[in-house]
Amino acid sequence: MFSALQPLAQILLFPAGLFLVINGIVIEWIDRKLVARLQNRIGPRWFQPLADLVKLLAKEEILPAAANPWLFIGLPMIALAGCLTAALYVPIMGLQPAYSFSGDLIVTLYLLSLLTLSKGIAGWNTTNRFSLVGATRGFTQLFAYEAPFLLALLGPAIAARSWQIDTIIQRNAGSWIILTQPIGFLVALIGLMGKLELPPFDAPEAETEIVAGAMTEYSGRGLALFNIAKSVEFVVGLTLVAALYLGGVNNPLEYLLKTLFILVILISLQTLLTRLRIDQTVGLWWRFGTILVLIQWMVLIVWKASAL
Amino acid sequence: MNTLTSLEQAEKILAPWTKEAARPEPNRLDIIISGDDVFACTAALKQESWGYLSAITGLDLGPDAGALEALYHFCQGAAITTLRARLPRQGGSLPTLYPLYPVSSFFERELSEMFGITVINTPDSNRLFLPDDWPVGVFPMLKEFDPKVEQPRMETSSQTFPSQDGQKFYVPIGPQHPALKEPGHFEFTVDGEVITEARMRLGYVHRGIEKAVEGQNWVQNLYLLERVCGICSHTHATAYVMGVERLAGVEAPLRAQAIREVIAGLERIHSHLLWLGVSAHEAGFDTLFMYSWRDRETVMDILEALSGNRVNYSANIIGGVKFDIYPEQAATIRTGLEYLEERIRHYLDIVTSDTLFLQRTRGVGQINREEATHLGLLGPTARASGVLRDVRVEAPYGPYTRYPVSIVTSEAGDLEARFIVRLKELFVTINAIRTILDNLPESEMSVRVPRRIPAGETISRVEAPRGEAFYFIKSNGSDKPERIKIRTPSLCNWTAVLSKAPGSQLADAPLLIAGMDPCFSCNDRMITVKRLEHS
Repeated sequence: MFSALQPLAQILLFPAGLFLVINGIVIEWIDRKLVARLQNRIGPRWFQPLADLVKLLAKEEILPAAANPWLFIGLPMIALAGCLTAALYVPIMGLQPAYSFSGDLIVTLYLLSLLTLSKGIAGWNTTNRFSLVGATRGFTQLFAYEAPFLLALLGPAIAARSWQIDTIIQRNAGSWIILTQPIGFLVALIGLMGKLELPPFDAPEAETEIVAGAMTEYSGRGLALFNIAKSVEFVVGLTLVAALYLGGVNNPLEYLLKTLFILVILISLQTLLTRLRIDQTVGLWWRFGTILVLIQWMVLIVWKASAL
Repeated sequence: MNTLTSLEQAEKILAPWTKEAARPEPNRLDIIISGDDVFACTAALKQESWGYLSAITGLDLGPDAGALEALYHFCQGAAITTLRARLPRQGGSLPTLYPLYPVSSFFERELSEMFGITVINTPDSNRLFLPDDWPVGVFPMLKEFDPKVEQPRMETSSQTFPSQDGQKFYVPIGPQHPALKEPGHFEFTVDGEVITEARMRLGYVHRGIEKAVEGQNWVQNLYLLERVCGICSHTHATAYVMGVERLAGVEAPLRAQAIREVIAGLERIHSHLLWLGVSAHEAGFDTLFMYSWRDRETVMDILEALSGNRVNYSANIIGGVKFDIYPEQAATIRTGLEYLEERIRHYLDIVTSDTLFLQRTRGVGQINREEATHLGLLGPTARASGVLRDVRVEAPYGPYTRYPVSIVTSEAGDLEARFIVRLKELFVTINAIRTILDNLPESEMSVRVPRRIPAGETISRVEAPRGEAFYFIKSNGSDKPERIKIRTPSLCNWTAVLSKAPGSQLADAPLLIAGMDPCFSCNDRMITVKRLEHS
């Protein structure tokens, strides 16, 4: 009986499901509050992200006449499901991942891309002009950061000779990959910002040009689900980078400290930087991000080969 | 070149077309010409590079006279040449000046909407100011138009710009749009991320001020005209009172004039800091936005302490100012300015050194000097392109004859230059305020001005934070003005956006629009809205 309930609990309560949503809300609050404080504003009260979520869930969802209703309603669910599933393979709260298999690193990364893909298709589906421009920018950005981000997260995997997240963490236990692969860490960090469309990579939802980008036509539940998905992806992304680059996360305290550390770096960058144009974003990734990470890969591979 | 030789030169250039010439004021030359010669005259003036087209005023001489007049005002330094063309009240037509001065297109469209004058060969005859459902053939600025009569609404199509083909991809911005928190409508045709065509529609906040002034007395109008603009309210009030004072033959006391410049300076600081924040936000640099607006509160507090208000300070009255600046207040101003000076130095450092921010501003929307002159740009937008255009320096008025300011220019002409020019201007302004506070002359605060203003015409030009504000004031000797024409700098600067948007990235469009510091409120003045509820 218990063994049958366990997977269900893992999906609905912990590590995926309810816990992750709450964790995401807390992260969102820290993000909003710290950015506000750094910008000399007061910022939201502690329950504001939760209140926003409840409000959105309670509101009417307006379905655009031109949109395919199945896609319109289904895409936010797919996005959220992708992010929640990804959480099953990463050490949330510093505990063992719920599931683990060889190559789950790649699967996790692709599950995390579902959010951007869903947003892009959603933008295309709603046929709004701003959504279309936003969706195009979202996809363009995806092609820019995805490769370097993937390569950056594979760096620790090569060091550990495994593509299984759990194994990588165990084999690299105690060694801070950030020290040996600083470029990889930087690219992973900035890649995470691109993935989450945080400033300065917020061109796909640049409010001064294209309103809310792909999300322009979304309201009510659909928007709420996309927002939760983004928060959840934030948590999973932070966990992944902390686990792979900051010497693993082996207990809840370590988990909190390390993810918060990365979060604070991300928030400072958000506050300091001006939004990049989409052509500048692409240029940045392909001219610097990818090349830097490839150089590090070469070094890594040569060093590994000589060690054999 | 001094004013007199300028006018003599203009008179010589225009001699072949002149029917009659007059010198209504020492700095003004009025030339009566035939409507068909407007283009030839303007071409001749432009050929000799005599000044720039500053405004076109439509004047209804009334059903008795049976004629309209179109006044083309050209300014060079303090000298103003006005070409006056008489037209029949119905079916009059004028040639467009668009090939010579693109900005004239806006003036001409206003003229044809408000007075029913047909403009021949104009590139765009769509409505610019009047609403789409305004009835055809009703011209609100004609004397017989009664604003109290409700106008029937016309059927309209849902598209603002009628001639669109379905193959192009349009991105509309405004009038209700989070991108542009102001009521203007832009339509960008895009090819991917690149803008290929830009169009604009104004008039969403027309309040009928130019018509309304004709129904109110000179004192009431002061309060109305102060509300032309929410940011540069003092500028408009100053332009108006200076014009009326000139017509009445009085001069404001020295202390009043000095206080006017102090308020104008503080207004410039608050306007430029507001602009800095808005532009930073448009570029996606919200931190700069928040900080600059926080610091702007300093100057807002000073203005509130002086006048009791944050935006419509109501400092002016005809013949002087309302309030004095006491020594304690002067000390508060000095402390505030010291803080602001330090902060502005910091912001200047940021906008010239922050790599990512420079990526969005350096080399973007570049306008060189020839283009800027041709487009008829004004104020900091022109000065950033190396055009020495500043009424305070070219044609010093009132307080600026006693406390001159220097002009800040840049040759670069891009968005970065506009940031630099505006911020550096603030240092000049701060120093000017300090000088005045150190040497406040002792005098009365105001002089008496008669209720009826002697008949006559005058032109009053004031440098607003955004450039030259142009007032044409005509009195018929009664207690109400016959006509007041207001041309605000934003209207001229639109040409910078419309000419630079095609070819630039869609992402640069908000910053291009913000770069000229548009003020929609003062653009849109002149539609008569009938109140539907009768209380």
